[in-house]
Amino acid sequence: MAVLEATGVSKVYHGRRGTVHALDGVDLSIPKGQLFAFLGRNGAGKTTFIKVAATLLLPTSGEVRLFGEDVVAHPEAVRPYIALVPQEGRPFFHMTPREHIYEYLRVRGASGESAKARTEEILEAMGLRPFEQEPAYRLSGGVQQRTLVAMILATEAPFLFLDEPTLGMDPFGRRQVWEVIRRATRKGSTVLLTTHYLDEAEQLAEELAVIEGGKILYRGAPEALKSTVKREVRLQFSGGFTRSELGEYGEVIEDRKRLVLLTTRSRVREITERALERGSEITVGPVTLEEAFLELVGRGIEEEE
Amino acid sequence: MSFRSQAYAALRICYFNGIMPLWRSPLLIGAVFLTPFSFLFFLYVIAPRALFPFGVVGGVLFTALFTGNGMLNDCAYLRLERQLQQVYVASPVRSLTYILGMALSELAFALPAMVLFLGILLVVHPFGALAFAALVGVVLLTWLMACTLGFFVSTLFQQLREIWPLGTLIFSTLSVLPPIFYPATVIPKQWQWVAYLAPSTYAGQLADGVVGLGGGITTSVAFLNTPLFDLVGLGAITLLLAAAATYFARWRER
Ligand SMILES: Nc1ncnc2c1ncn2[C@@H]1O[C@H](COP(=O)(O)OP(=O)(O)OP(=O)(O)O)[C@@H](O)[C@H]1O
Ligand SMILES: [Mg+2]
Repeated sequence: MAVLEATGVSKVYHGRRGTVHALDGVDLSIPKGQLFAFLGRNGAGKTTFIKVAATLLLPTSGEVRLFGEDVVAHPEAVRPYIALVPQEGRPFFHMTPREHIYEYLRVRGASGESAKARTEEILEAMGLRPFEQEPAYRLSGGVQQRTLVAMILATEAPFLFLDEPTLGMDPFGRRQVWEVIRRATRKGSTVLLTTHYLDEAEQLAEELAVIEGGKILYRGAPEALKSTVKREVRLQFSGGFTRSELGEYGEVIEDRKRLVLLTTRSRVREITERALERGSEITVGPVTLEEAFLELVGRGIEEEE
Repeated sequence: MSFRSQAYAALRICYFNGIMPLWRSPLLIGAVFLTPFSFLFFLYVIAPRALFPFGVVGGVLFTALFTGNGMLNDCAYLRLERQLQQVYVASPVRSLTYILGMALSELAFALPAMVLFLGILLVVHPFGALAFAALVGVVLLTWLMACTLGFFVSTLFQQLREIWPLGTLIFSTLSVLPPIFYPATVIPKQWQWVAYLAPSTYAGQLADGVVGLGGGITTSVAFLNTPLFDLVGLGAITLLLAAAATYFARWRER
């Protein structure tokens, strides 16, 4: 059963750059308990979609239903069932992580007892214990972000909107957040998150959608997205080759000092032999979600032009 | 959430957004005292002694009016800089609950200064318990009016930079120009009605009236000279602003 059902959602902004179609006929359904990731370049429309679905923004046209209720016509029917981590949010400067979580739960109507228990639990799970008594202005950026995410996840709301929840977090912090998000879905919450870390999407999401220019380009499992890339092997070189030399084997991506080649299985032997002759260091592996994303969106942009 | 839970939520917001920061940095109170006291001191030095009580009432109302400036800045800051209003929109908390919670926080900040001004007033111009209760009522109505105005204006902007000078401009104009710190009789009779263009004038008239200072606006229409008119005026403006704030305000963006 789909708990989020979007049909033909569009949002048009009229600004100095002319008319911007931030969303352009988005259809999307997310089943109950799913961990769903939104991927897309900056300005693709991810935040706009989240804002519309989370009753923060009116769409120009189209419909979003959450738990069967129309978010435009009956926002107040939807709001008790949702919680949101806004993109680049910041906590109240004078409050500690513990106070943020506890007070937010109380404001949302939780009893003192339940708020207390949930606060303790999430402080532990999110690794916020060492900071629980510090006012937010003394916390580092990543810990402030963890505080906000903890505050929202502690609500255990049936639908969680997380707009770049792990922004600015270290790899340990990110893993803690992933674990808490997974636990939320095990308890029955549905999660819609956005991220620019493709490894995160790969680790976390059961399904994802790639959005570009306000349109959905792809919707499916992360594994399936990887298999859309025609070249299935990824070779990374440090020196020894020029870009044009590698070009004849497949698609070349320049990644700072390194060259990355996406190619087919059949050509791997030939290239590795040449690399060994030249003493170039080379790493061979499967195509990552990042490459699949780059290729998919790159194709999308070309078609547009 | 039931009506009771919404009311509780507003109090809770006042607790962590108003009382908690005040408790942690008591210096914040000083900022609230500073401007009205400078005015009062100025009046004390230059104006005839008989006008001093008007200045003290002015101080009380100034503090109540400037909660609107705090409201404007805090709401804009939480919405635009901290993205925190969004966290409350996407929750069972109603817009009016949030507005009330924020307004109560501003009241918490203003309360120490208000109490001090009221104390001074009782010393320089003693009056009865009934008048005191009425004055408190006027102050609360003024606070509500100022805060709904502050919230409403804050929602019209998408940039903090545009808002900062605006708040000072609006609320200074409202509290310094109209007859708040001085009796309306100072204004030439044929121009006194102009003061009614400012919502704060109604508060000033009511406050001076209930403590028996007099010096009110007189016009050729008898009803306009009664306190009932001032009360209806202030109440109507507050309701209008509250309606505008909840309907047009950016609780949900367009
Ligand atoms: N208030 C606004 N007025 C005009 N245009 C806007 C407004 N908000 C967003 N846009 C435009 O809408 C488009 C989509 O923006 P959105 O914030 O949804 O992107 P995003 O996918 O979340 O990007 P990012 O990864 O950078 O967060 C962009 O072109 C943006 O400039
Ligand atoms: Mg975004």
